[in-house]
Amino acid sequence: MSLLTAIFYYMAFACVASALLAVTRKNPVHSMLWVLALFLHVAGIFLLLNAEFLAAVQIIVYAGAILIFYLFVLILLDVQEEVARPRFGRHWLFAVAIGLSFAALAALARVETLDPEGVWVAPAARPVAAVGPPQGSLEEIGMALFGPFALPFEIASLLLLAAIVGAIVLAKRKAGGA
Amino acid sequence: MVPVSAVVGSSAILFAIGAFGFLARRNIILMLISAEVMLNAVNLSLVGFSWHLGDPRGQVLALFVIAVAAAEAAIGLGLVIAMNRNRPGAGVGDLTSLKW
Repeated sequence: MSLLTAIFYYMAFACVASALLAVTRKNPVHSMLWVLALFLHVAGIFLLLNAEFLAAVQIIVYAGAILIFYLFVLILLDVQEEVARPRFGRHWLFAVAIGLSFAALAALARVETLDPEGVWVAPAARPVAAVGPPQGSLEEIGMALFGPFALPFEIASLLLLAAIVGAIVLAKRKAGGA
Repeated sequence: MVPVSAVVGSSAILFAIGAFGFLARRNIILMLISAEVMLNAVNLSLVGFSWHLGDPRGQVLALFVIAVAAAEAAIGLGLVIAMNRNRPGAGVGDLTSLKW
């Protein structure tokens, strides 16, 4: 087992452990901190998988912006009262069953396809081009994002604009005093 | 060399934990956070396949997932603030107006 593989398994184990702690802690602030640990470890896995731009976006947008946003809303609530409440609903065993059925998918996680003769074959990886930007680099992502994905990119910006306006409308106090 | 099935397997386990948290937690903010855990699991498998197949489109899709997650957080937390004005607290146990 090479060093990179060992680092990957540490990251994956830390992801699963911090996610488990995040959904089971009683104090919501502790949950947020474990989710922060989860996001940082997912960013580490992205780095191992040659996705350094996504790792930076994961840390800046997820850990930096979205999580802080959640924490800001959390301080509007009474944390002491949240700690006193039961953390799971009465149907939590049902939720465990749903979760286990999704986890069972991990056993099927083999990246193979059935070929016409009914034999499992692994898909051939695309050969790395001799010329052009290196695989997974920012240049390659930028070419894809502003080339074939230009329309989805603009639609995503429109979606974010709609979300900003919607959040302001939802959170604004009514003029007549609701 | 990391096997891609290990990446996809850990992604499935993370998704399972997020689904469990979304269904079991009674605090609406923690339900939204569990949804973020699920979105992260999906991103993980997208990046894993992108790395395995040498195709940048997976990473572009993961970027769009992050944008949608930001929009979802803004709308969800706006709803929490609007709800908090009428009744304090973020529990979902007493939101039974639509219960059949």
